[in-house]
Amino acid sequence: MRSCENIRGRIGAWLDGELSAADAEAARIHVNACSVCGEERRQLERLDSSLHAVFKTGGSKLAFDPFWRGVEQRITQKTNWYEEFGDWIRATVTAPRLAWAVPAVIVIVLAALSVDFFFPTMKTATQRDNFAAVESIDTYGRNVALLREDETKTTVIWLYQNPETENESSTETTEATPAF
Amino acid sequence: MNLLRKLLKPRLLFSVLLFAVSSNAAENSNQPVHLKIGTILASNQSDNFDTRLKPIAKQLKVMKYRSYRLLKEDSQSVPWKENATFEIPGGRLLAISPQESKNKQIALKVRLTEGAKPLLDTTVRLQSRGHFLLGGPPHEGGALVISISASME
Repeated sequence: MRSCENIRGRIGAWLDGELSAADAEAARIHVNACSVCGEERRQLERLDSSLHAVFKTGGSKLAFDPFWRGVEQRITQKTNWYEEFGDWIRATVTAPRLAWAVPAVIVIVLAALSVDFFFPTMKTATQRDNFAAVESIDTYGRNVALLREDETKTTVIWLYQNPETENESSTETTEATPAF
Repeated sequence: MNLLRKLLKPRLLFSVLLFAVSSNAAENSNQPVHLKIGTILASNQSDNFDTRLKPIAKQLKVMKYRSYRLLKEDSQSVPWKENATFEIPGGRLLAISPQESKNKQIALKVRLTEGAKPLLDTTVRLQSRGHFLLGGPPHEGGALVISISASME
């Protein structure tokens, strides 16, 4: 039964010569032996011959040339640059592409700004503004020198004292000039 | 209008908010600050350079001393607004208190005392893992140079 249904569904392909040799032979044997499938075959053959007859008589009256010319024209015609640009804009500025583009840009910007946080040992992170900034300083009457050296990004706070104000009780004397 | 509606999709808003919150959280971290102190004796009594000071050799060379010797190294983790104290040779004390973090920079309040006598009060803002030098106090014929670095853990 299953074979009968299978063959019946493929009778059309068999008649059109679309089956492999083995399948075509199996279909031929079954159709010759099965009255139902044999009837199906005869109906398809009658339909086929009817269609051929219709095309033979009426096909010559159909005007195919203008139709094919229209198809050819549409294939070969070149579009204007502004139409192509419009298509590109439409394709770009449409969701969901743009909806994902905005967070993607945000992620890239945040990632760029967070390089120092996630990769603190990277050269760019350590070299970028490594200067220490002195916001306030009180040395209680002592002299102080502040050095900010560009090349090595060094900030030095140096305490020193005038000889006149040196504490006499102190065994060690502070230098009278900064060390740089 | 249609485009605007698409842009205001909840999924998109959620993404933006998530990133905003996460970046803000990194800035206002409650993690303690790791402080590292190196006390160095700078002098002109010899030409020796302590090899342990190689990582900051370039910075030390801005001073006109011939010899640098690392006397002691110390490190402490300290919560924000609290004090970490370090003993400095010569009966001195260095108190450091991290005040705030802004633009990935740490503001440190630094106080150096000698006995009961204050020598220096300063507020310095430095990059996380950055450092600065504090020098001048005399010691053993030379001068002490204190390297202070801070990092957010």
